[in-house]
Amino acid sequence: MRIPVRHLQERILLPHRKKDMWTTKAVHDVSLELSEGEWVGIYGPNGCGKTTLLRMLAGLLTPDSGSVHCDTDASCFFELSIGFHEERTAAENVRMHAMLQGLNRRETEAVLQSVYNFAGIEDHWDLPMKCYSTGMRFRVGFAVATAAPSPLLLLDEILAVGDAHFQERCKERLAHLKRSGHSALVVSHGIGDLERMCDRILFMEKGQIVEEKRASPSLSGVKE
Amino acid sequence: MVSSRYTFSQMVRIVLAVGWSDFVLKYRGSVLGYLWSLLAPLAKFLVIYYVFKPLVGGAIPQYSLYLFLGIIMWEHFTVTTTHCMSALQEKQAFFLKIPFPRLVIMFIVGWTNMIIFLTHFFIFIVFLLFTGDIYIMPWLYVPVILLHMTLLALGVGMLLASYCLKYRDLLHLWGILSQVLFWLTPITYAYKLDTPISQQWRSMLSMMYHPSLHTAFDLFVQFQPLSLLIYDMRRVTLYAADLAFPSVAHIGGVTLLLTAFCTVAAVIFQRRSRYFIEEY
Repeated sequence: MRIPVRHLQERILLPHRKKDMWTTKAVHDVSLELSEGEWVGIYGPNGCGKTTLLRMLAGLLTPDSGSVHCDTDASCFFELSIGFHEERTAAENVRMHAMLQGLNRRETEAVLQSVYNFAGIEDHWDLPMKCYSTGMRFRVGFAVATAAPSPLLLLDEILAVGDAHFQERCKERLAHLKRSGHSALVVSHGIGDLERMCDRILFMEKGQIVEEKRASPSLSGVKE
Repeated sequence: MVSSRYTFSQMVRIVLAVGWSDFVLKYRGSVLGYLWSLLAPLAKFLVIYYVFKPLVGGAIPQYSLYLFLGIIMWEHFTVTTTHCMSALQEKQAFFLKIPFPRLVIMFIVGWTNMIIFLTHFFIFIVFLLFTGDIYIMPWLYVPVILLHMTLLALGVGMLLASYCLKYRDLLHLWGILSQVLFWLTPITYAYKLDTPISQQWRSMLSMMYHPSLHTAFDLFVQFQPLSLLIYDMRRVTLYAADLAFPSVAHIGGVTLLLTAFCTVAAVIFQRRSRYFIEEY
């Protein structure tokens, strides 16, 4: 998967540059399979292609070569902010997100209730998001990400949210999802978090999977 | 890998709800609120009316309404087409994070701007009630012409949006082109389609034997789709007593052509949209 790094303007103004400088190889020669109920972590340094890989799997990017086969619906969540609009309230943002995820009215209302119960921001619920602290935004983001998931979850950096108490609740929520049979691909910079919740961890470097490690997750044992 | 959950009714629900929400949000927090959407066409109307009334006002009955209708239809076209491009930036977070059908965003833009246009059109109707005669029958054509406007504006908007991330100059270029197009559309001056378009094509061919810049502009003004749409709207709302209604063949032909154009634009947009994330 090659990603353009130069705009057309630069290409015209600096035509002497080699063509391979116009794009960068973000992900290359990657093959992976995810079984039902399996949780796989992807770990690696910044710029190694983790998010690009997840975006390809989510259908947001089309690979130059190769293909993605998925037998089920996927919910994907990138960096928790989801695209909250500052002027919209949490309820409006959650409703908008649920609609764009393709949920129907009944599912949308269920998501709203679930997010309201989980995020713990009752006082701010009807205020515009610009009034929220960073931690509160993350709470809403995490709650949305895990409220009405598809059988397959694609999660990018959604851990390390809020204070210690809320982090415990997040782990409980993830444990519940795992126990209820959801599959997940989780991208994180925290190897400890991945070891706790994933069955396998893939290590990426320079756009390739360089190592695969089996893990013994303890997350599924967390009490809800 | 767009989810199978996006049924037609689901997409319609998204377009209606998000379009309305965007309309409300657009003016939230500003003192004048919705009135801002009126000020741009109103300011344009006042200046042009002041300048052009002595020049062409005598030849065009009900010139104030003629001009006002032309301006609000023009504003709808230009705002929608520009908004189609800017929506890719405004909704960037959604594009980057959620695999939904990208076409939905274009239809949301179309719906939001149609709501704004309908409010302007309502003001036009109020003025018309005070100053002119209204014939009910021709108004049956209005929904079809509104559909034509939407198809044209969305078609052009989708084509522009398809390439505006790759070719960043497009937004600026369209700003200039739309200014030129304003004067090449019969908004301020007289326009009349005396004979059916099918017969006018013959005279167009004969004009081409004596090519000149003036002839080219004449042809463009005469046959460009915005001219036809504005003329159609004017003749069914303002001049129903004097001018013939659009024929079924005319309405059907225009609907067919614009639907085909909008479909082609939608296909191009859909194909190009898979590269948007790379081009951000």
